[in-house]
Amino acid sequence: MSKNARVIKYVFVLPAIIYLILLTIYPLIYSLKISVTTLNIARPYPPQYIGLSNFVELLKDSIFLTAMKNTFFLTVLSICAEFILGFIIARFFFMGANLKLKGVGLLRTIYMLPMMVTPLVFGLIWLYIFNPTLGVANYLLSLLGFPPISWFGSTNIALYSIVLINVWEWTPFMMLLCLAGLSTIPPELFEVARIDGAGWHQSIAFIELPLVRRVILIGLMIRIMDNFRLFDLVYVTTGGGPGSSTETLSMFTYRQSFMFFNVGYGAAASIIILILGIILAQILIKSVWGKEEYA
Amino acid sequence: MKSKVVKLCLRSVMFLVAISLLSGTFACLQAEEINWGKELKNWEGRELRIIMIADPWVDAFAVINPEFEKLTGARVTVDAYPYDGTHEKQIMVGAGRSTDYDVIVLDCPWVGEFAEVGYVEDLTPYMKASNPEVVAWDDYLEAYKTVATWKGEITGMPFGAYHVLFHYRKDLFGEAGFTPPKTLEEWKKIAAYFTNNPKYPGLYGTALNYFRGAPIGQAWFEYIWNVGGKPFESNYPGSPDPYADMTPKINSPEGREVVQLFIDMVKYGPPGVTSYAWDERATAFAMGKIATVSCWSARTPLFVDPARSEITDKFATAVVPPKKGVKSVPPLGGWVMGINKFGVQKDLAWDYIKWFTSIPIHKKFMKAKPVGGPPSRYSAMLDPELNKMFPWYKSIYESAKLTYEDCRPRIPESFEIIDTIGLYTSKAVGGELTAEKAMEEAEKKIKSVLATGGYYIRE
Repeated sequence: MSKNARVIKYVFVLPAIIYLILLTIYPLIYSLKISVTTLNIARPYPPQYIGLSNFVELLKDSIFLTAMKNTFFLTVLSICAEFILGFIIARFFFMGANLKLKGVGLLRTIYMLPMMVTPLVFGLIWLYIFNPTLGVANYLLSLLGFPPISWFGSTNIALYSIVLINVWEWTPFMMLLCLAGLSTIPPELFEVARIDGAGWHQSIAFIELPLVRRVILIGLMIRIMDNFRLFDLVYVTTGGGPGSSTETLSMFTYRQSFMFFNVGYGAAASIIILILGIILAQILIKSVWGKEEYA
Repeated sequence: MKSKVVKLCLRSVMFLVAISLLSGTFACLQAEEINWGKELKNWEGRELRIIMIADPWVDAFAVINPEFEKLTGARVTVDAYPYDGTHEKQIMVGAGRSTDYDVIVLDCPWVGEFAEVGYVEDLTPYMKASNPEVVAWDDYLEAYKTVATWKGEITGMPFGAYHVLFHYRKDLFGEAGFTPPKTLEEWKKIAAYFTNNPKYPGLYGTALNYFRGAPIGQAWFEYIWNVGGKPFESNYPGSPDPYADMTPKINSPEGREVVQLFIDMVKYGPPGVTSYAWDERATAFAMGKIATVSCWSARTPLFVDPARSEITDKFATAVVPPKKGVKSVPPLGGWVMGINKFGVQKDLAWDYIKWFTSIPIHKKFMKAKPVGGPPSRYSAMLDPELNKMFPWYKSIYESAKLTYEDCRPRIPESFEIIDTIGLYTSKAVGGELTAEKAMEEAEKKIKSVLATGGYYIRE
């Protein structure tokens, strides 16, 4: 390769490198830098270097630990529900398309609508639906003879209410991925399975799930990241309460960084979230993809 | 009985005398037309930007501001946000040395924070250089002047002073033979009477602020004084220096009593009351769902607005009831207008502030539709015309006489302290912790916040 060609190669890559440095690497280094200080932008005293104290404090902070527990719970529950429901619905759409039923395309488009709404907006909509005295949810329950539920006001229910809304919004996404995966399976495989006498459950277990697992993995990874930074919905509906029953890692970081302006402490929390996210993603990739394939 | 009647008559006469004396003092100011052409500069082509809370009176700005625009030629833009969002954005304006906003509207607990970090101007020189009749500083209650001042510097001009008033359904109270409660114990009994009473289907006794964060945290501070407690050692009405000794008294019998009050009152609230904040409570009262509510006077005008209320002529107000044997300390809050330290149109900002807070415009602010502002000046509070229009001004005046300006701390750490108390009170209400454990944990956290801030705390 001539010298000119090598230079041109770097020139073409340069914008991407600049972008990466400015928007990813620099903020990350800056976050690392302030995470070891007492920086608070709403206090008159200058920041001091305190080493890893913020990280040590965080691991002893009961609210942070609760936020971590809530985030894991919310992530696991939401993703499981989204995947199961998404796969079932995708299968219906898949079958409908194979049978060339009319209106399947339109129904699929309508089904995607929740995903297209801003979380803040649907958070507000659900806030009205779940309003304990004026909301539709309790009205419907009363028609069935059930007592009203304090959807966001009870420590036992609030987190499940958030999971419910989360699942409502993101099931279409999992459905879409599953449907895309199912569409790539050669029809001959189903034909052969049918001839061999395989039932629908065997078809799912031995043909569909193994062949769509990579697509599912991508979906799961995206949703794990999403749930780790889930903020808008919690902020609008419960503010992390009642008590700390719906406090998530993002909510905790926001509270520290933008309500109390303990920016150093907040930065340390966000670094821990980042590390946890990376670890989880790695575990997921290795367990689903397999070591050899991954390598 | 006879002595009660005599006392009542005397109080009424004194109130009327006070109204006529004080309104007479400022009558000349109101009657005199301020020559705005002389007081304000020409700001043609300029845009003045204000950042503030989206409280019920925010639309009144749009009604009044065209007058300023006509007088000066400047265009006024108001950006209003929810409570937490307002604080967050205002700090970001200061931290970023932003020139985006000229006028910063601060809640009184934030005054110390903004003054200490130097994000707002000291208004003293501006006031000194202005016509004293326009500024009319002596027309403000002492408590409001204190609230707007930090270490001798005036951080903002008061314009939206709030008092917590006790609102009750006078029609239902009349029917049931109740008078406004004089004590918390009486209030509890009244709330219990109206809750799930077959005579009043769908009605509940009351609703406190339970939503986690500032709503419940601020409410804790509203009640601590009224059960005879104090949050910090030298923080009490009449204290020479409320922040001299900041040893927390959160985990005191009184602090725990407040938490217990929150727990006890849940059963007198509508379903889901534990997710209520200021707006939900006001809506519940306006919709006739609760018989009583203790809330900021800024929301009272909502209750007489037929578009938002079903109880327009069915409610009255009173001073908040304290615990038996304790003197009532009606909480004081509200907003002051400051100038962005980093703004590039400080003179325009001051022109706007002095115009908006002047006696005649302040009165217009009260009267603006759909929802006017709360009175912050004697001249407005005691104005006969305004008193006739807004009968609750009498309760405001009564509350103003008993209030304590530092009823919520005004130090830089206030936001974090209030939120922390809110979190732990909410945990106790939700059953995650007992009242004792909640206050113990809250005190521990707050001690650490205060220690970082360098406050004097006794071990």
